[in-house]
Amino acid sequence: MNSDEMKTGSPQKWQFLKPLLLTIPMALLLAMTLTGKEKPKDPITLTAVIITWVFLVTLFYLMMSTQKTNRYRAIFFTTLAVCFVFGFITNLIEIRGSMLLKDADMMAGETPFCHLVLPFILIPAILTKTIIFPGSLLGSFAPVATMVVIWLGASLALGRGWCSWACFFGGMDAGFAQILRKPPIKKIDRRFTLLPWAVLIGMALISAATLSPSYCEWLCPFKAVTEFPEVTSSARVIQTVIFFMLFLFLVVLLPILTGKRTQCSLFCPFAAFQSLTNAVNVFDVRIDPEKCVHCKKCIQLCPTLSIDEESLAGGRALLSCTKCGKCVDNCPKQAISFHVKGTEACKRAILDRNLFLYPAWLFGATFGGGTIAGAIARLFKLITTGSLF
Amino acid sequence: MKFKAFLGYTAAILCTIIVIATFGGMKFWSVALVSATGVSISPWYNGGRIVKTIDHGDYKTEIHEPVFQGLFKPRKKGFIQVDWIRTRKIPDKIGEGIDIEGDGKIDFVVEYNTLINAATITPLSPPVIALEKTYRLKDGYAVRVWLKNQGR
Repeated sequence: MNSDEMKTGSPQKWQFLKPLLLTIPMALLLAMTLTGKEKPKDPITLTAVIITWVFLVTLFYLMMSTQKTNRYRAIFFTTLAVCFVFGFITNLIEIRGSMLLKDADMMAGETPFCHLVLPFILIPAILTKTIIFPGSLLGSFAPVATMVVIWLGASLALGRGWCSWACFFGGMDAGFAQILRKPPIKKIDRRFTLLPWAVLIGMALISAATLSPSYCEWLCPFKAVTEFPEVTSSARVIQTVIFFMLFLFLVVLLPILTGKRTQCSLFCPFAAFQSLTNAVNVFDVRIDPEKCVHCKKCIQLCPTLSIDEESLAGGRALLSCTKCGKCVDNCPKQAISFHVKGTEACKRAILDRNLFLYPAWLFGATFGGGTIAGAIARLFKLITTGSLF
Repeated sequence: MKFKAFLGYTAAILCTIIVIATFGGMKFWSVALVSATGVSISPWYNGGRIVKTIDHGDYKTEIHEPVFQGLFKPRKKGFIQVDWIRTRKIPDKIGEGIDIEGDGKIDFVVEYNTLINAATITPLSPPVIALEKTYRLKDGYAVRVWLKNQGR
C-alpha cells in the first residue's frame, strides 16, 4: 500500500466500519425483541420477521452512515401506519367478522386499549380507582396495564419523541403531508396550536364528569380506520359521521394541502399531553446561535409547528417538538442538532444524536416491528393461499 | 457543569436501558402496576361484580351488584345488570323475577324474547325505573335496568 492509499484508505474504511459497528448492537437487540422468547416456527411468519428485521436494520444503518435521520425515520413511520391499519382491520375481520365493535365485545372487556385515551382515564382513575374503558387490565389484546407500561417507558426514554418514532397513527398524516412538493397552503395561524390543549382539557373534564372516554366516543378520527361501535342508534350515526369527517379532513386533506401533520399538531389531545413529558425527557433539539443565519427554513419545514421565531431566537425547539430530525437534517448551516440536557448545546452533535437514536429506534422498531411483520405475513398468506385469513 | 454533563449522559444511556426493560419486563411491570394501584375496570363498562348466580340447568342467571358509581360520590341514577349465560341452551323466551337486594322480595320482572333480542320490564319496587337496553353477549343475553339510588 502506498502513502496515498494509506491516507485515503483508512478514513474510507472507517466511514464504512463506524456505522456498521454502531448498527451491530441494534441488529442484535432487534433480533431478540422481534422474535420474543422463541423463534417463530411457521415459515411464513419467520420469513416476515426476517424481512422486517432486515428492513429495520438497513434503515438504522443508513441513518448511521448518511447522518440523515428524518428520511429513514419517515420511511419506517409511514410503513408502520399502513401496516397497522391493514393488520388491525384484517385481524378484526378474522376474529369478529367486521370492523364494528359490538356491545358484547365491550362488555366482555375485549376493546383494545389505545394510548390516545390515556389522558382521559387519569382523573377518574385517581378519584375512583377504576378505568373508564371497556377493555381488560391484563390478558387479551392490548390490555390497559400493558399499554400504560409502554407509554411510561416511551415517555421516560423519548418524551414526545413517541409521536414521531412509535405512534402507529402518526405515520398517516405524516405520510399524506409528504405527497405534494409544494403544498398550496403555506401559512397556518399559530393560534391553532392551542387547539390540542383545549381539546385535552375539555375532553378530560367531560370524561371525568360522565365517566366515559368522551374523546374516543365522539372525536377520534382514527376510529375510521380501526374499529367503531355498531351503529344502533342516531347518536351512533352522528358519531360515525364525525369520525370519518375528521379523518378525511385532519388526517388526509389538510396534511396534503399544508404539508404539515395537522391532526398531530392542531387537534390531537394526546399530543398536547405528551408534550409535557418533553419537560422531563433528557433529549431535546437545540439551535446554535453562532451558526444560525435566521433563514427560517426550520420554521417552514417543521411538520408539527414546533419552531417559531421566538424559540429560534432562544436556541431551542418548542415543548411540542417530536424529535423527528427534519430540521436537523435540513438546516443549511447545520446549526440544529439533537441535544442531551445538562451538556453543552451543539458541541457534541453526533454523540448526542446517536444517544437519542438508540432508544428512539429500539423503541419504535420493537413496538412497531411486530405490526410490520404481521402485515407482511398476511400478504404472504394472500399470495400463497389466495386468502388473507 | 461537568457533573451536570455526567448526569445528562448517564440519563441518556439509561434511556436505552429503559426501553429494554419496558419490553423485556412488560408482563412483570403490567402485573405490578395493577396490584400497586389496585385499579379495576369501571362497573359502568363491565356491569359490576356478580353477586348472585341462579342455576337453571340449561342456562344460568347472573345478577350483578347495582352500579351508582360517580366521580366524587354515588350518582342518583344507576343500573343493575342481569345476564343469562348459556350452559347448554337459552330458552326463546325468559320470564324471571329479580330480587336486587336479596331480601326475598321481587323488585322487577323481566320478559325477554331472545329470538328478537327484545325485553320488557315490570317494576315492582320504587327504585326500579325502566329498561335501559338489552344486550346480546357472546354466550348469552343481558339487560341493564335503570335504578334510583335510594341511599341519596
